[in-house]
Amino acid sequence: MALLVPSLIAYALACLLPLVFLRKDNKAIRQVSYGLILIASAFLTILALKIFISNQPISAVLLQITPGLGFSVFLDRLAALFIFIIAIVSVSFAIYSFNYAEHTGSHIRKNLLAAFSGLFILSMVLFVASGNIFSQLLFWELMSLTSFFLVMFDYEKQETQKSGLFYFVMTQMSTLFLMFAFILIYNITGSFDLQPLSGASPAMQGVIFVSLFIGFGIKAGIMPFHKWLPYAHSASPSNVSALMSGVMIKVAIYGLVRYLVFVLEPELWWGVVILVFGVVSALLGVIYALKEHDIKRLLAYHSIENIGIILIGIGLYVIFRAYGLPELAFLSLAAALFHTLNHALFKSLLFMTAGSVVMVMSTRNIEKMGGLIKKMPYTATLFLIGAVAISALPPLNGFVSELMIFQAFFQSFSLGSPSLIILLFIGLSLFALTSALAAACFVKAFGIIFLATPRSEEAANAREVAPGMIIGPAILAALCFLFGIGSYQIFTYLGYHLPIPDMLVISLILIGFLAAFLLAMRLVSNRQKRFSDTWACGLPALMPAWNTPLPVFPTPY
Amino acid sequence: MSFIIYVLINTVFVLLISPLLMGLIKKVKALAQGRRGVPLLQIYFLLAKLLKKENVYSTNSSFITRIAPYLNITFTAAASLFVPLVFIPDPVAGIGNVILFLYLLVMAKFFMALAGLDAGSAFGGMGSSREMSISAVIEPGVIIVVAAIAFVLKTYNIPQMFALTLASPIFNSATLLLISISLFIVLITETSRVPVDNPETHLELTMVHEAMILEYTGPNLALMEMSHAIKQTLLMGLLINILFPWGLATALTPGGLLLAALMFFVKSLVLAVIIGLFESLTAKWRLFALPKLFMLAYALAFLTIVVELLV
Repeated sequence: MALLVPSLIAYALACLLPLVFLRKDNKAIRQVSYGLILIASAFLTILALKIFISNQPISAVLLQITPGLGFSVFLDRLAALFIFIIAIVSVSFAIYSFNYAEHTGSHIRKNLLAAFSGLFILSMVLFVASGNIFSQLLFWELMSLTSFFLVMFDYEKQETQKSGLFYFVMTQMSTLFLMFAFILIYNITGSFDLQPLSGASPAMQGVIFVSLFIGFGIKAGIMPFHKWLPYAHSASPSNVSALMSGVMIKVAIYGLVRYLVFVLEPELWWGVVILVFGVVSALLGVIYALKEHDIKRLLAYHSIENIGIILIGIGLYVIFRAYGLPELAFLSLAAALFHTLNHALFKSLLFMTAGSVVMVMSTRNIEKMGGLIKKMPYTATLFLIGAVAISALPPLNGFVSELMIFQAFFQSFSLGSPSLIILLFIGLSLFALTSALAAACFVKAFGIIFLATPRSEEAANAREVAPGMIIGPAILAALCFLFGIGSYQIFTYLGYHLPIPDMLVISLILIGFLAAFLLAMRLVSNRQKRFSDTWACGLPALMPAWNTPLPVFPTPY
Repeated sequence: MSFIIYVLINTVFVLLISPLLMGLIKKVKALAQGRRGVPLLQIYFLLAKLLKKENVYSTNSSFITRIAPYLNITFTAAASLFVPLVFIPDPVAGIGNVILFLYLLVMAKFFMALAGLDAGSAFGGMGSSREMSISAVIEPGVIIVVAAIAFVLKTYNIPQMFALTLASPIFNSATLLLISISLFIVLITETSRVPVDNPETHLELTMVHEAMILEYTGPNLALMEMSHAIKQTLLMGLLINILFPWGLATALTPGGLLLAALMFFVKSLVLAVIIGLFESLTAKWRLFALPKLFMLAYALAFLTIVVELLV
């Protein structure tokens, strides 16, 4: 508590300060505002880690309006995990914004950006920390509204107006479904507290589940409620896209998991529904991403894909739980939550580095880029780390969580029902296809943006971005390594003994082999080198357009 | 301690035998076509020659081109620890996890594909694009194959799979025969062989793997060729030791290891003949016809699962 209230006040101040001096073009005020976000987020990170490691929930009443109605805080391990996700991404967001936000138009707009960012993070933290239904609904709505204003940042662009309006309608639909579910819950329990719904009939639980699933699903971007997501995420400023894609859609996952695990009593068919929606979102998300040429929209479609992967984990959890297999159920839930954390890290990293590229290039079209690795080496390396992580390649974090889901799938033979096993194996093969397509998509994205030769004037004259825009994402990149390589040790430390490979040992073996091969090559091979032009098929010079395999890349599908 | 010995033995064995298996398949193909073919040990001479040459880099290329060969061989060599060829160790720290094995190979491929795009050549981009597409389309098949094996043997640890098949007197399960056809298709695809790719062509629009490494020469090319050869040995070893594991050593004795190495060589000789003949008898397929082949692999593996469910 000693850390929570001051951080909440700091977020509020970060929001109010630029609003008070709205008409003044004062860079210092905005920097103070981002500084406050940074400090508050750092405190929250510590708080979340404390609760997470000690596993001792805290709860308190912040404000009592009338008996039975008020704002209360409840933080257990699950909530602490999501507070950690919000806070750590916000730390990186604040550092990135010190430099980035100064490039975003007129001074009033810059002030508004700082103000709404503070409010946006505050509302997300408060939603996750909420101890009762009433405050959850209130902060959910606050989060939706602030994010709507952030989407409308470039309001005079027609594209943005359309995206903003669309987003607004979808987000209100989401609140509507949630409100319906909450009213039903209130009718049964007679209180706003989060408590197990043991008295309700299965049919009633089913109705509540469906409306919660649609309500949170719209916000999370599950297919077929995903249409708003690519528009909204590409219209907003890149630092906000990182928050929306990295964190906001995770808040919806938090809501879903909270109600599934602690409030409702899930049945088998819920798991099947979640699994099917998850597989469809994952597969279609990545296929849409493959044919996308707009870098931010490509990343937004990958968010849909990853939300699908998280849902697959949650679906498996419900299925295994319904069959009374607690170990497998736990493995699946841990995979889903770990993937939530991992996706927040690498997707924010990717959105921020992509934002740097978009800022330098003044276009989001990747066909106009090329060769940027030589102009922006740090940004390129950070993007590459994000690309490796999201493609689920070892030893980074994205791989470990997908590995856990794979292992849960592999053990589905312990289920009793043959038809369910067949369904799960079909799900498994589509999930495998998804992760392979993601790797293909990021070979394409990284290759076309950063490799080969520049394909436009802007790309040829590109420069590396300011230090803040490198340090911010670099924190996330370091965490991608930490949570990948240290995954086994972290789970063991927390008291969860999962049957996953020890990535630390694997990494040491990799380093050993790399050192051995470097040494061997140094001893036996010719170390001279020469530079020469790429063979241009006999023509005088290489055409920059040749190195765009764009028309080729998506066609085989 | 025994694990460190295992690492040394397995790595050295893989490094030594991989070029030989490449040469064997080449020889079989040459004989099938009525040619005398290059000597068996030609690949070793080729690698030695490449090591003596200088590296040539494109002026367009970045550090990706420089690090890719090393990352490629590092990840492939690490994957080689997951497939015991002569000696089955006790499982250590999850080494042998079949999913991790597959993804270590994907990681190697990821950087190879990036290197293909790096020089800005028209061929490299085509190669990378096709390689990633093919690898994505075959992926459901690969996963279902390993899931089916895991289903039959009730473990997803490769050394344990080998230990289980080794312990049973005859085929552990008849369904393993079904899977082996799928595994063979995976082997052909992942090692870029006919009908998926043509390992013989250079500067043809049909090529996939060769197009990606077209810009490499000298020591870097030697590393790329070596990792390709290791990958082939690993996939062959997986197929051989799941179907015919007999001869694998379970204790560290010089005699047993020698016998196991000899047995593995004989078994891989047979498989090399099969691959060579298969490659001589089929023509390369159109890129868009390939999903049919992959569907076959998928269907057979899925059939295994269904059969296992019914039994």
